[in-house]
Amino acid sequence: MESKTKSPPKLTRRNYSKIIRPIFGILVLGYILWRLYEVLIVQQAYSIEIWLRLLIAGLIIGGVYALIAIGYTLVYGILFMINFAHGEVMMIGTFAGYFLFEVTKGINVASAGNPPLSFSDAYPLISVILAFIVGMTVAAAAGFFLEKIAYRPLRKAPRLIPLISAIGASFFLQNAAQLLFSPQVRDYTNPAAIARGSGWTLIINDSRVVITYTGVLTFVLSILLMIGLYLMVQKTKLGKAMRAVASDKNTAALMGIDVDAIVSRTFIISGALAGAAGVMWGLHNGLVHFFVGFLPGIKAFTAAVLGGIGNIPGAMLGGMFLGLVESLGPTALGISYQLKDVIAFVIMIVILIFRPSGILGEVLSEEKV
Amino acid sequence: MNKDIIRTSSRKGLLFGIVLIFLVLINFHIMASTMISKLLGTNVLRGAFPEVRFMIIFLVIYGLWAGWSAVSRENKTTTKLLEGLISGITTGIVIVLFGLILFFLLETQTDVRRYLTALSFVSINIFLLGLRGAGVPVLFGLFTLTGLLGGALAIGLRSKTVSNFKHSIKAFVSNVRQSITSALPEFVTKYGKYMIYLVLLALLLLLPSRWGSYNNFVFGMVGLYVILGIGLNIMLGLSGQFMIGIAALFAMGAYSVALLNSPFPHGLMWGFWPSLVVGVVMAVIGGLLLGLPIMRLRGDYLGIVTLGFGEIIRILLNSDLLTDLTGGPRGIQNIQQPTFLGRPFNDVSYAYLIIVAMAVSIFLYYRLEKSRTGRAWLSIKEDTLVARATGVDVQKYKLLALCIGAAFAGLAGGIFAARNQFTGPNDHTLMVSINVLSVVIVGGLNSIPGIILGSFALRGLPELLRELETYRLLVFGALLVFMMLVRPDGLWPSSRPNLEEKGSSDLKEDIDPDLEGRGND
Repeated sequence: MESKTKSPPKLTRRNYSKIIRPIFGILVLGYILWRLYEVLIVQQAYSIEIWLRLLIAGLIIGGVYALIAIGYTLVYGILFMINFAHGEVMMIGTFAGYFLFEVTKGINVASAGNPPLSFSDAYPLISVILAFIVGMTVAAAAGFFLEKIAYRPLRKAPRLIPLISAIGASFFLQNAAQLLFSPQVRDYTNPAAIARGSGWTLIINDSRVVITYTGVLTFVLSILLMIGLYLMVQKTKLGKAMRAVASDKNTAALMGIDVDAIVSRTFIISGALAGAAGVMWGLHNGLVHFFVGFLPGIKAFTAAVLGGIGNIPGAMLGGMFLGLVESLGPTALGISYQLKDVIAFVIMIVILIFRPSGILGEVLSEEKV
Repeated sequence: MNKDIIRTSSRKGLLFGIVLIFLVLINFHIMASTMISKLLGTNVLRGAFPEVRFMIIFLVIYGLWAGWSAVSRENKTTTKLLEGLISGITTGIVIVLFGLILFFLLETQTDVRRYLTALSFVSINIFLLGLRGAGVPVLFGLFTLTGLLGGALAIGLRSKTVSNFKHSIKAFVSNVRQSITSALPEFVTKYGKYMIYLVLLALLLLLPSRWGSYNNFVFGMVGLYVILGIGLNIMLGLSGQFMIGIAALFAMGAYSVALLNSPFPHGLMWGFWPSLVVGVVMAVIGGLLLGLPIMRLRGDYLGIVTLGFGEIIRILLNSDLLTDLTGGPRGIQNIQQPTFLGRPFNDVSYAYLIIVAMAVSIFLYYRLEKSRTGRAWLSIKEDTLVARATGVDVQKYKLLALCIGAAFAGLAGGIFAARNQFTGPNDHTLMVSINVLSVVIVGGLNSIPGIILGSFALRGLPELLRELETYRLLVFGALLVFMMLVRPDGLWPSSRPNLEEKGSSDLKEDIDPDLEGRGND
């Protein structure tokens, strides 16, 4: 008798989040639409060239985020751990590129001109290529040793353990960089041909929109690297082995795949991508210091989660999306630029609440999920 | 066989050489020899450099270690010696190469401090033992010799006679202990544990008024982290929710107390105690608001969302948007000091307040863990589906865990703000959340002694070891990795066995327990 009378409230009690979630969603959506309406239709304070500028900035930063996010997603897909030190791998790549530019700037090339040209000014293309090669190699090596020292012995441990180990490694690398290179913020010395801020100028509505060379380089190179990675994962033997290990380690081992070697290579690849992202970051934003990897690292992880973790196209999309939201969001919603990170995080939370496996859906093995 | 030995021991030597280069590049050798010289009674003024002989002592110890660690367990004595020697020679070769570069820099007076900030000429000169170019071969000889000696030392200390000696000492000690315990009257053996507790309690009550304000400050920091750790443990250890945003809840408590107790920006003067209650309530509301929409998320997603939440709160506090409400980046100064029975607080009373708060938290934690609620949480953590099937209202209990954990965080935040008389956005960064997480994991999940030990090790020791100030975060990071490699269960693991892992270890090794509780709702 009593149980009958009790059952209806129990049912409603279970549905807290089922009620709360739509309310939350409607509130956020309503706010966004209202602000968009205010800014775009009522105020119309910003003209097209401002939007264009923001769009370009968003695409560039999005490319960098996407490259780092791929590293997170590859590692997460295989090992199921957040590689918290990935941002520091990027920082190492940035420093490597910085030192290469310093060296090439220091070498003088015999030239007809009166002030002797430095190597990096005389051969900008070669020195940029060299910088990317060095940055990627060093960062790849960092990723390799990171996995070997801090993660491999913990392969079988509960998942919080490698996370703490990763946090420790992140602290260590940050502080090692600080102690080695001092906490001072340094300027990246770009070759003169691609100095920061120089670029093609478009005239729209009588105002200049500069498409910087470094921005184009960053964007194009990140797209190329992403395509290359995608082809590698889909077409090559190594990519096949990586996918096999990601979907089932034990069976992959039975099929003759050396799981440890594949995990190592995954870290090398993700490190190389992070290194490339780091050199791009340095070339485009121009600053390098020991803390440079932290925020991009966290944002890129957010991007990886946004796109669906374990999903490589998802990471690319998530990175681009996050870059665009961060760049366009504050203006589009008419709020302070200080709050760009808030917008990024709120969007991430909203997407995760309504679509917990990311935009494109996560790709994780059945067994693990 | 022989090749193998050469390869492994030369690899060891290479590792030691590279690590030594790294240590020199961060000026660690100067710090170490300064410490040695202080230990041996020669004081070194701040900013001055130690004498070369202490540098030699440091290098000799390092070389002995390199030789020692290269020695394997199985081989013959001569092979062991060879291993030590090879390791020493490899270290020596690496250091010679490095030393030649340093010598070159010294000779040409090239200043590289713009890039490698620690590499000053004085530092190079001390590393070369003050001998300039002649220091390079001397260093090589030193490492070769110490490698050999280290090998010999390892052989000597690991030999049968020594290990027999060790065993006999151990047996003797345990014999003595047994005879003491049997000789003691019965009530001591029975209540000895409680007597130790009593002594500890007495120490806790006496020490804060004796040991000075700096120690009280450090003690308070440790105590607050214990409370925060307990709060996090309720979310993470008991109910299995991966939370990285505890700094946000901490901030809610801190800002409630600060705003209700300072002349600026609102001029409210509610007094400490009511506002502490408000702070706890605010933190609970924060936990509820955070928890309601994200109940469906699992594992790492929960972690990243809570991380985002923490960052959102910090950025909002730091922005111009809330400057009028919360003081913006400048924070809130001049927080009014609490009074107790009409007497104002000083550092000693804060220590007592933190002791009381800690005791209450620990008591509540134990009651909760043993209660029906605690068992419900553990069942959710072990297997959400089974918990649901057996009639546990998963969402309610998860929310409850978040709210109760948040209450602890709010309590710690309130006391923190009042004690510092200041709180600002920089007190509530992601680092706070990560530190709390590290405290809980390093100490041991679900273990109160572990959390106390962990927060002492991670918060107290770095404060006390200000000598090592420059290196403490570096050492902290290395220690975190090392701890996880060596003692993944924490310093003081909980006594409750982790059933899930033991039962399933044979069948599904790489499936993680946390992940199987998917498919909520």
